[in-house]
Amino acid sequence: MPDAGGTDHLFHTDMNDEKKQYFHALQILADNCTGCTACVKVCPTEAIRVRDRKASIDPNRCIDCGNCVSICQFHAIIPRSDSLETLNKFKYRVAIISSSYFGQFTEDISYAVAKQALLELGFDEAAEEAMVTDFMIKIIRDYIRANRDKRPILSSNCPAVVRLIQVKYPALLPNLFHLEAPMSILTRYLREKIREEKQLNEDEIGIFLIVPCVAHVTAVHQPEGVYKHLQDGAFSIGMIYGKVRELIKKVQNNPVEIDTYPKGLTWALSGVQAELVDCEDIRALSVNGIENVMDILSRVEDHYLDQYDYIVLRSCTNGCVGGCLNVENPFVAMSRIQKMIKEGEEQIIDIHNLEELYHDGEFAVAPLTARPIMELDKDIKTAIKKMKKINEFLTMLPGLNCSACGSPTCYALAEDIVLGKATIDDCLVLLKRHSKEED
Amino acid sequence: MAEYWNVSPGFEDAITRYFTDVPEAEVTLESAIPEKDFNSAGRGSAEVKNLLKRLGVDNDILRRVAVAAYEAEINVAAHSIGGKMTSHIYDDMIHIKFEDRGPGIADIDQAMIPGFSTADELVREFGFGAGLGLPNILRNADALHIVSAKNCPTLVELIIYFTPI
Ligand code: SF4
Ligand code: SF4
Repeated sequence: MPDAGGTDHLFHTDMNDEKKQYFHALQILADNCTGCTACVKVCPTEAIRVRDRKASIDPNRCIDCGNCVSICQFHAIIPRSDSLETLNKFKYRVAIISSSYFGQFTEDISYAVAKQALLELGFDEAAEEAMVTDFMIKIIRDYIRANRDKRPILSSNCPAVVRLIQVKYPALLPNLFHLEAPMSILTRYLREKIREEKQLNEDEIGIFLIVPCVAHVTAVHQPEGVYKHLQDGAFSIGMIYGKVRELIKKVQNNPVEIDTYPKGLTWALSGVQAELVDCEDIRALSVNGIENVMDILSRVEDHYLDQYDYIVLRSCTNGCVGGCLNVENPFVAMSRIQKMIKEGEEQIIDIHNLEELYHDGEFAVAPLTARPIMELDKDIKTAIKKMKKINEFLTMLPGLNCSACGSPTCYALAEDIVLGKATIDDCLVLLKRHSKEED
Repeated sequence: MAEYWNVSPGFEDAITRYFTDVPEAEVTLESAIPEKDFNSAGRGSAEVKNLLKRLGVDNDILRRVAVAAYEAEINVAAHSIGGKMTSHIYDDMIHIKFEDRGPGIADIDQAMIPGFSTADELVREFGFGAGLGLPNILRNADALHIVSAKNCPTLVELIIYFTPI
């Protein structure tokens, strides 16, 4: 992983202050950007353009997959997460930990110690995504069985995938699993529980996610389809990693008894999750990596994957262990987590409260809206006119797809020209050819 | 040559008018479909899909076009010695033509029965050829026209309107 995780590069702001439409947890530092166009080429939704040698992101197109963060060699694209100081606003602070966190440490550091270190960081309570894995598998299976007409059901846990579907595959929105993801389910459950047990007001309890990716930070600040107040912030694994390592040294000498849920860590691995859902009457498929996800979604559109009942889709390599705000390589992290799952002991968790909330419909998600980015115009006649113009410009362009213009492909430049966002002079190759002809 | 026609109720007049006038398309896309090349089969329909998304065509219509076009494209790749796909796009409908170089359909009516398939071993290995092809296209198209005979080229053409009539 790139050292986007190194705390030095992180930009701390209180992001609650600047909620706009389509907020994104990414920021481009113009001073660092060389205009190399590496990010332009890897963006799956063609959201980035370089103009006047500086990159900028179209907030309507960005899905927070983090590809650009990983590729930029100049630390010009900075993932943002909340500042740890936000914790001070709350009386009782809870951390909800993404399973990928436990794959970030060398094998001499146990699950329990890694969790204890997080508590030391300033939390009164820590809960893991891993706690509700069995419950999730159960409700996913229920959902699939109740919605056979919509097969295949597409997993909705990865916010980057959900946004990808909203912008590029809106026809598949009805196929999304319309219940909350594990970290949000835990949030609802814990908020209720703590309020009662500790006699606290809603605003005295701060619930924070420890996340592996930009997509989850964005989702916390701008959730899709939620009915109620969820989390109060998100901290990336990369950002807290340095501090946690130090705390680990400290707690290793004073370990305390602590509950762990190794069998549930499967959530970080897309393949294992699919295997768990798969059963006699449910066929599940696992897909990870954003390019693969797009290929599969296109096939789902064609109804060519109707033999599957459930498809686990994760934007990152191997699932959340590949998130761009982790520090460890996705394959190494996966192997460590697999080891923990294999060697770990079953932990009985009392889930009857969760069951009750589930039966009361508390985990339902509002239908998601399409945010189509490809549409050239609302009116089809105008769209066709624009399309024809695009094709005209396309025949004038050299077809090298070199991105030197700052648009990802020649087609994208032609489209940018027609939409008034660029001119044909942005094509450096044409410019060079013309200047030669003049000589 | 045997001929097969199916026009969904309500679309008869529009279809007759279309084939009488043969208006010039706003946008035309063409792509080759090489024989038994399952790596590139599906590219043509993916291109059509992207174009329709750019034109803002309704989601349900998009999926019907996607299914019919993909199915027909795979059919050509699987059963023929290659051919091409031509899409004519208008502001109210799409007309897609699949023309191959043979060996033709011996009995079109039989081929329209769900579950009937002549797919050979290679095709089955790839997971195609479950016999859903033509009936699936029929279900999604507003008009379907097939011309073929044994040892002859096949023409499959379909029309889908963007708004219900
Ligand atoms: S990758 Fe993008 S943000 Fe980074 S230097 Fe290159 S153009 Fe700028
Ligand atoms: S796969 Fe996991 S880590 Fe990657 S973007 Fe999706 S939720 Fe985040």
